[in-house]
Amino acid sequence: MHKDKDAALVNDCKHGDRRAMSQLVDQYQRPVFNAAYRILGNMDDAADATQTVFLKVFENIGKYNQEFKFFSWVYRIAINESLNQVKKRRHQQPLDDSQTSPWQDPEEKLDSERLCKRVQDALMLLNDDYRTVVVLKHISGCSYEQIGEILQLPEKTVKSRLYSARQLLRKTLISIEIETPGQ
Amino acid sequence: MTDMNEQNKNSQAPVDQHIQNLLNSSIDAEINVIEQHELDRLLENSENVRNLNKDLRAVTSLLDGLPELEPPGYLQSAIESQVRLPVQSDIDEKRSFVGGWLNTNWLRTGFALAAAVVVTVGIYQMGSAPLTSRDAASMAGTVAKGTSLDQRGILLDVFRLDTDKLNGLVELRNKNDLFTLDVQLNSVEPSEMVLSFAGHGFEIEAVSGMQETDGAVSVIDGSVHLAGIGEQHFTLSLKRTSATGNDTPLELGFFANNKLIQKAELNISQD
Repeated sequence: MHKDKDAALVNDCKHGDRRAMSQLVDQYQRPVFNAAYRILGNMDDAADATQTVFLKVFENIGKYNQEFKFFSWVYRIAINESLNQVKKRRHQQPLDDSQTSPWQDPEEKLDSERLCKRVQDALMLLNDDYRTVVVLKHISGCSYEQIGEILQLPEKTVKSRLYSARQLLRKTLISIEIETPGQ
Repeated sequence: MTDMNEQNKNSQAPVDQHIQNLLNSSIDAEINVIEQHELDRLLENSENVRNLNKDLRAVTSLLDGLPELEPPGYLQSAIESQVRLPVQSDIDEKRSFVGGWLNTNWLRTGFALAAAVVVTVGIYQMGSAPLTSRDAASMAGTVAKGTSLDQRGILLDVFRLDTDKLNGLVELRNKNDLFTLDVQLNSVEPSEMVLSFAGHGFEIEAVSGMQETDGAVSVIDGSVHLAGIGEQHFTLSLKRTSATGNDTPLELGFFANNKLIQKAELNISQD
């Protein structure tokens, strides 16, 4: 999120500099991949989405308006692409069992890895709007202002969605744990 | 989550929007001094707000504890191999694409070492007799007859391929009775380019190639198949040995994962 450095690299890309392109990919592939994964809940889909995001970014680099932050633009494309894939997937296949019933094995220990899996599963139960703000806040580390810029929403809407999303997550996590035998 | 369970037993009364905003701002460290004072007073005086604060912080802590994942190792190179940067003119674009491609480390190494291990398709000197399609078909890998690639002649036609799965550039040049096809492909999935030259009176003079991974060249029923994955560069020389060959365009087919994704034609006359 170094605005000046990004601007210089983007400018070089506009002149066909592939090294600049490579640096931007190197800088943003990890955060884009992580955001995509937390929205899609699947590594392969996240990798596909990340590739598509960067193809779109560089295909449209000539149209990018440098008055806006590059990372906001990239994230906006990443969020839109991830949500598009979610919609396509809903049309193509039912949710995995793991998404509708995350707690399959009551004997499993709630170790760190398992806990992360359960939080991710709970995240997948949120609607797209709520999941998106949570991902941008907690995975991408964006501020309210940045989330607002990326999603083109007023800050108060961002705050409101974030509050509701956290409350829903809390309820989901609690209800799941209560329903789990032996807890 | 144990805390949340215990707190859940004490049902929480809904709080107004203002308190929600204060709690959010505090948790996300976006609160100012005045707001913090106000929230401190609320926390001191209201068990409901205290419980809510604890719950929200517990959820936040879980979310912040999600690990950052490492993207697949292939991702960066897969992205870079597919990206086409816009440039100011068609000529510049072509130069940029080729130049950028040639600048990649593996290819520089490949050129420098020529027949080293990284070059999966070797170059074999053949006898003085022209190479026939049958000769080529019987050979695994690439065949060549030592054709000079420095004087490839005039540019007859160019085809640029730009799809999600496969992109690249094919140039057809002619000098005297020699037609040279320069093929550059980038693909994530296994890909293949098929050139049909039946009826044109051509014999294969030479084929050379370099690829990131294993590639293959084969000649089947009047068509040459160039297969590979990743960045690929083939040079195919066709010699016109029959005056009766027709001047209809050469047909190209591009396949990704054995599925035809694009057809093209290359004009072999200067008209």
